[in-house]
Amino acid sequence: MRAGLAVVLLLGLITVLATIQGCARAGMDQEPAADATYADRDGDGVLAREGPAEPLRDRTDLAPAARPGRELARFAQITDAHVQDEETPAQLKVLDRFGVSGSFRPQEAMSPQVLGEAVRAVNAFRPEAVVVTGDLIQSAQANELDQALATLAGGTVRPDSGAGGYSGPQAGSNPDPLFYRPDVDAPRFPGLMARAQEPFTSPGLRVPWFPTLGNHDLLVQGEVVPSGRTRALATGDRALAELDPNERLPDGVEADNVDELLAGGDAEGVEELLDRELPGRTRRVAADPRRRHLSPDELMERLRQASGHGPRGAALFDYAFDLAPGVRGLALDTARRDGGPGGVFRPEQARWLARELGRARRAGEWVLVFSHHPLERAEGGARALALLDQEPGVVAAVNGHMHRNSIRPRRSASGGYWLVTTASLIEHPQQARAFRLVETAGGGVALETWSIDHAGAGDTPAGIARQLAFLDVHGGRPAGSAGSRLDRNARLFR
Amino acid sequence: MLALRAALVRLRARPGRALLAAVGIAAAGAMLGTAVTLSYGLGTGFDRAAARADLPDVLVRFDAERIEEVESRVRRLPNVEASAYRQSFTGIGVSGGSGSAPRATYEIVREGRRGYAIVAGRDLRRADDEVVIERGLSREWGVDPGEEVVLRSPRGFALPLKVVGVAVAPDNVAYPLANKPRLYVSYEGLKQRRFEDIELVNTALLWVNDPERTDVTLTQARVAGFGISNLRFVTRDGIRLLLDQAAGIVIALLVAFSLVALGSAALMLAASAQAEVQRRLETIGVLRALGFTRTGVVARASLDAALVAVPAGALGIALGALVALGPSARLLETLNELPPGRALLGPLALAYLGLVGVVCIATAWPVWRATAGPVAGLLRGAELPSRRAGPRLLGGAVGLGARMAAARRGRLAGTVVVLGTSTAVALLLLALAGLFERLQNDPGTVGKRYAITARLPPEDAGAVRALPGVRDAAPRYVVEAADSFRLGTRLRLVAYPGDHTAFENPALAEGRRARGAAEAELGVGLASALGIPVGGTLAAQLPSGAEVRLRVVGLVHALENEGQIAYTRAGPLLDASPGLDSTMAVVLRPNADRAAVERGLRGLGAVPEAASGATTRSLGFLGVLASLLRVVAVLNGLVCLYALVQALALTAVERRPSIAVLRAAGAGRGDVALVFLGAAGLVVALAAPAGVLLERVALGPIVSRLAIDYAALSLAATPAQTAVTVLALVLVAGAAAVWVGRRIEREPIVAGLREE
Repeated sequence: MRAGLAVVLLLGLITVLATIQGCARAGMDQEPAADATYADRDGDGVLAREGPAEPLRDRTDLAPAARPGRELARFAQITDAHVQDEETPAQLKVLDRFGVSGSFRPQEAMSPQVLGEAVRAVNAFRPEAVVVTGDLIQSAQANELDQALATLAGGTVRPDSGAGGYSGPQAGSNPDPLFYRPDVDAPRFPGLMARAQEPFTSPGLRVPWFPTLGNHDLLVQGEVVPSGRTRALATGDRALAELDPNERLPDGVEADNVDELLAGGDAEGVEELLDRELPGRTRRVAADPRRRHLSPDELMERLRQASGHGPRGAALFDYAFDLAPGVRGLALDTARRDGGPGGVFRPEQARWLARELGRARRAGEWVLVFSHHPLERAEGGARALALLDQEPGVVAAVNGHMHRNSIRPRRSASGGYWLVTTASLIEHPQQARAFRLVETAGGGVALETWSIDHAGAGDTPAGIARQLAFLDVHGGRPAGSAGSRLDRNARLFR
Repeated sequence: MLALRAALVRLRARPGRALLAAVGIAAAGAMLGTAVTLSYGLGTGFDRAAARADLPDVLVRFDAERIEEVESRVRRLPNVEASAYRQSFTGIGVSGGSGSAPRATYEIVREGRRGYAIVAGRDLRRADDEVVIERGLSREWGVDPGEEVVLRSPRGFALPLKVVGVAVAPDNVAYPLANKPRLYVSYEGLKQRRFEDIELVNTALLWVNDPERTDVTLTQARVAGFGISNLRFVTRDGIRLLLDQAAGIVIALLVAFSLVALGSAALMLAASAQAEVQRRLETIGVLRALGFTRTGVVARASLDAALVAVPAGALGIALGALVALGPSARLLETLNELPPGRALLGPLALAYLGLVGVVCIATAWPVWRATAGPVAGLLRGAELPSRRAGPRLLGGAVGLGARMAAARRGRLAGTVVVLGTSTAVALLLLALAGLFERLQNDPGTVGKRYAITARLPPEDAGAVRALPGVRDAAPRYVVEAADSFRLGTRLRLVAYPGDHTAFENPALAEGRRARGAAEAELGVGLASALGIPVGGTLAAQLPSGAEVRLRVVGLVHALENEGQIAYTRAGPLLDASPGLDSTMAVVLRPNADRAAVERGLRGLGAVPEAASGATTRSLGFLGVLASLLRVVAVLNGLVCLYALVQALALTAVERRPSIAVLRAAGAGRGDVALVFLGAAGLVVALAAPAGVLLERVALGPIVSRLAIDYAALSLAATPAQTAVTVLALVLVAGAAAVWVGRRIEREPIVAGLREE
């Protein structure tokens, strides 16, 4: 009798646990976990955390809305952290004023702290996996990768380089008013640059993470193939302080058209500047061998070792992985090895992608494709999209690079899928992205996605970085990087 | 109601005394009314006009650019609520009504927010023959809406335009204080006429969401503006500062003076009330003896005082306000600001309540104190003269009067305080008038200490210094440079071989004076445009292509070149560009013979030129100020006269028996007058030096400091001014003595003897 009662109780317990588990996976919390978001509702240039959070908006471009059911996968995306050594001599920051995107950002010194707080926020979401879709670092430097990987792994991160303390154009003593100097310029944050150099503790990701490669991970300033010249520059003791507009511009470039040349992100122009004697007034910096530029092989190997994912010894960083049971992730390497910021999808990758898609189809798995560059903008990307178009199991192609939130439907004969581009951590709005793949009534799925603010707040370096990123006239605010509401928090029916 | 009726009866019983008190309160009220009208009207004029005109928070000027280029940059700025764009040009003259100007400022405005207020007529529409003119032009030339002005180019082109409205924009002072009249024409209208070059803009008007964060917007604007030439920012606060520098010295001085006058009026009221109580001590004692409580006596006295103060205060304040309103409004118009209108009623009402309150409290307090002791003592004390002998003064009637005045030391002190303050105020007025004169003629008052310049080589400095009447001379180097990082931003470097403050002394706003060779003081405007704080570095590219780097050690309020200026030592500039040109700046000794110095300079082969003041030269403007000063001066004279009459009348009442005995003993009219002259003379003898001292060590420096720190303004009265003031005081004292003496004389001798 007692044994029978025990069995009944045990079965009851099992049933309750299963029910709880089922409820959890069935998505009882279908809205963004946060109850507030950062916004500048009064337009004064100050972001304030205010409620309510933006609700998920149903997007039915590909399939009608249906009641969400069981959760299939729960994962997050971190992209374009651009962790950088802001004191490096190998970053031509003066190009910023000519409109060369990303040459200088007022908040760049706090990029490791921002990544650390993004990790904290992502952990709070409790994903099963995190995909890092490229541009983890700014300029292919070894010490940048050290900092980024330490931040993702957790523990003490040491952002400083060169001699101890900050030495660079954002020092209050720099007379150049076109660099934001937090000691003297509004909004003033005295001592910020020194604080940005101090070691900090990162919580580290608590779940498996899967890297893809971005142009900034492999190329100097995301543009230029590392060379002996750039390595010498990076580890040397001279940094370009002012561009001389009259005498030392690349051949054929006049002072009058230097901005036109550089505004287009002309890789050759930047490369020529980098690949020659520094064209202007220089300043002395403390040399640091940790600033050396990494080769692609070295970088891929370090990423593979740190994450535990990625191909061993392959020329490209393409690989497949399980996001959750029945949900397959495909990581595509779209970073060029020959220089330039744009993406590329190579013929040999098409064969690999077709193979992996076929494998997932046969296994009855849902598929999500991850890359740094948007496939529709990458050279050869049309071929990749054509392959995805044929697969009914493909739910979304997720990428970064554009530093802008965007969600577009891709219609195809097999039902179509979603093209999801996520804004960067380095620029406004400094958000990661959460995903939940849920079943829907009728056998379809819905990909729920919303933006996650990093956890930095107030006068912490990451909190200040958010405010500075918002103010930056060359940054994400004027560029509309946050996207529309439909680009941020949405339920994408498929 | 009964108490009120009783109080009215008491007042009617002594109409002369009530009238005297009323006159005093009215005089103080007039002073108060003037002070409030001036300080409120002038102190809030800019904000009022800025609000009405929707003045932008930031005014950005730059070399002409395509509007799309500018708009795309402005759109990127944070904290910007709205923007508007204009093209401003000055090449064409204008005539209309009774006037004409060879050059006028034309603002081609586009649809959207304007940044000016229409005060007559209407705003521009899209018609091609319309113009809105500034109020200064309308007043000066007598041009009203509906009339016509004609634009005239040097090449003979003439374009008649219909004036549809009159505008006020407080981003500059009004014509003719500003040297060019300003007119607004419509871009949309001009476009119909197919004018060339109107597509470009050179001014952007920005309105921000949070003015407290304008600095953040400017920081980003500096970056966004890279590539646009000659970029200059002026914030609303900066405009206020520029106006302050142009005319605000004067305004701030007047406001500061009003505050001093306010204090003086309060003091006078308190002293007057106290004297009145002293006079009524006997009555107070009787009331107490009759069983009135302390509170009852105090209430009774306060009611009596209020009955006088309520009408007299209202009359005085209204009078003061009316007298000051006209000149104050004219001054505001000159500054492109708006009069307060009904908004002035609030402060005036508050001042009125304060006036009545001060009178009541000043009456109640001494009564309260007087009723604290035993009633018998109060009654005795009211009648008994001081037991202490008066000070040994002159003998005869004059000495008697002086001893009478000295016997009541408290009253004497009060009267001396009032007269001393009034004397100090009078001296301040004269010093102000002198300052206005210097503002017109002497550049030294606004930061420049050199009076003459001459084209002479630097090596002639010794020879110039040797000229009689020359205190100092040095070569003045002026270099039009560019910011090294933003070559489009132009700035002026002014350099001397040594300490520039001996020649130019712009007021320090922050930091310290430049002392070292590579140090600089930056104009606040330049520091703001380039984002250079104290401790920062100015990198300037000279016309030769060489660059100088100067450590910024101080920020200064500078008028020259719209504040886009830096003062430094000549050494680094000459090292970078050895061939720099200079002019000789000559500082004169006080009272030097300017003509002789100029002859000496001609003897050295130079053509001397007068260094002009950097502030207004508008005679009309100074005329308005003079009329304001006259108003204040008249009121101040009234205050003096009242204080003296009050003190002497009090003495006369107290000493009726003594005066009666004197008259009974054969003293004539002259002798009685001499008695009061003696009393008045003692007061003047004490008040005059006290007033001179007060002005020199307190009021002058305080008002100077309150006024502005742009220049070291000396508000110390000259010996001549002091002499005139003291003489005026003596005359007022004489008039008061004669008046009181005549009143006494009209009284029968026996009336005074009966009291004895």
